[in-house]
Amino acid sequence: MTFRIDTTINGDRTVIDVDPTLTLLEVLREQLLLSGTKEGCGVGECGTCVVLCDGEPIASCLVLAGDAAGCSIETIEGLADSGELSDVQRAFVRTGALQCGFCTPAMVLTATALLREDAAPDAEEVKKALGGILCRCGAYPKILEAVLEVSGEGA
Amino acid sequence: MKRLRQFAYSEPATLDEAVAALASGGEDARVLAGGTDLIVDMKTERLPTSAVVNIKKIPGLTGIDDLGEATRIGALTKVTAIEGSQLVQQRHPALVDAASVLASPPVRALATIGGNVGRASPASDLGPALIVSAASARIRGTMGEREELVEGLYVGPGQTSLTCSDIITDFIIPSPPVGFGSGHVKLGKRGGGTDIAMAGTSASVVIEDGVVRDCKIALASLGPIPFRAPTAEAALSGQAPTEETLGAAAEAAAEDASPIGDVRASASYRATLARVLTLRALRAAVASSGGWVVA
Ligand SMILES: Cc1cc2nc3c(=O)[nH]c(=O)nc-3n(C[C@H](O)[C@H](O)[C@H](O)COP(=O)(O)OP(=O)(O)OC[C@H]3O[C@@H](n4cnc5c(N)ncnc54)[C@H](O)[C@@H]3O)c2cc1C
Repeated sequence: MTFRIDTTINGDRTVIDVDPTLTLLEVLREQLLLSGTKEGCGVGECGTCVVLCDGEPIASCLVLAGDAAGCSIETIEGLADSGELSDVQRAFVRTGALQCGFCTPAMVLTATALLREDAAPDAEEVKKALGGILCRCGAYPKILEAVLEVSGEGA
Repeated sequence: MKRLRQFAYSEPATLDEAVAALASGGEDARVLAGGTDLIVDMKTERLPTSAVVNIKKIPGLTGIDDLGEATRIGALTKVTAIEGSQLVQQRHPALVDAASVLASPPVRALATIGGNVGRASPASDLGPALIVSAASARIRGTMGEREELVEGLYVGPGQTSLTCSDIITDFIIPSPPVGFGSGHVKLGKRGGGTDIAMAGTSASVVIEDGVVRDCKIALASLGPIPFRAPTAEAALSGQAPTEETLGAAAEAAAEDASPIGDVRASASYRATLARVLTLRALRAAVASSGGWVVA
């Protein structure tokens, strides 16, 4: 059985038939080949599967495909759509805010969502917003530094 | 992570259709709200699931409304909406405290209040807060509509008294009297409340003429369900709220608790947490009642 959903992905209206027993994460990675979104634990603990849904970070491993209908989903691929890196991405590159890179898409998307809401978050607010994402390399200090570099507070 | 096993999926447009879909789906048909418990329980095969009835297309199940003598919170209301509600903060601070420490932001943005009660986790954050706020749940099932105290819904770990075709539609929380205050405190392993509680406690008080007239204390991760601590409540009722009387009630809460040891914490550590967290929750409740400010 398939189920038709009408959704927006990285700004493009996308009408696709999905298997309703798949998660949004599986549809993004396997059907739409947007493999920038990573699967870590698969049960919401690690946060590496974060995508933005109507601007808000959500754990895509816990969302069934049908719930993407009517939403605007943003993945890491959407941030440099024009070929140019976003401010947050550039800050991560400049600061070296990663080691293996597995949590980076989730970190960058979550920081992007935070900075859209609040142009100048302080260190505590950044930590709180990123608190749901585990970095097994322990790159947290550099990640914080990168986000604060973009934040008006960090300047 | 492995894929979900096959199941029938539906998105009913009305409550009646949803109840009918659940009734015909049998024992292994499940309501889907935010999915932050259900999808995990399906992936880990804790819950056999033959049919998923997604209730999010049904209108009228979200929102926080001031009914004057009560506050209504729709079952599909997101935990983040409760966290940000001025009305709930004014009337029932324990619920806002609990919402703000429930899981991490990308989970909290999906999680609903109805799902939290539906899952009946012994470690629930909203459960104890709803209990000390004297909240009831409105439930729609094959027999029509009924209202039950949240406290009475918990039967065992992961088990409620709801039948498989029952749907919680909203929560009704009576508006508190003057002198009411409440608070919720939890301790998890990851900071900032990003994960399940090693222990959690909610407390509410009504202070009249400098004396605690009514007191409710509810514990989480300290027994098989979120539950009231009767000895602790009795210890504080009728007393003036001082560090000494709050401390005595907190001691009693540790007696009311029946903690087990597991991956998160040992039983003896949990017993200590019962005392420490109850004291903190009581201090928060008394402070928010305006009756007494903690130094
Ligand atoms: C990483 C992680 C961390 C977490 N941390 C916490 C925490 O700190 N504190 C905490 O309390 N919880 C925590 N949880 C659990 C979960 O997020 C909450 O319990 C949440 O509120 C569940 O809501 P939901 O809408 O996602 O429920 P769902 O998963 O959709 O449903 C949960 C259960 O309730 C039933 N149900 C849902 N809605 C209704 C309804 N309206 N009527 C009847 N039955 C219904 C479902 O059939 C299912 O059995 C955590 C979960 C994860 C994955």
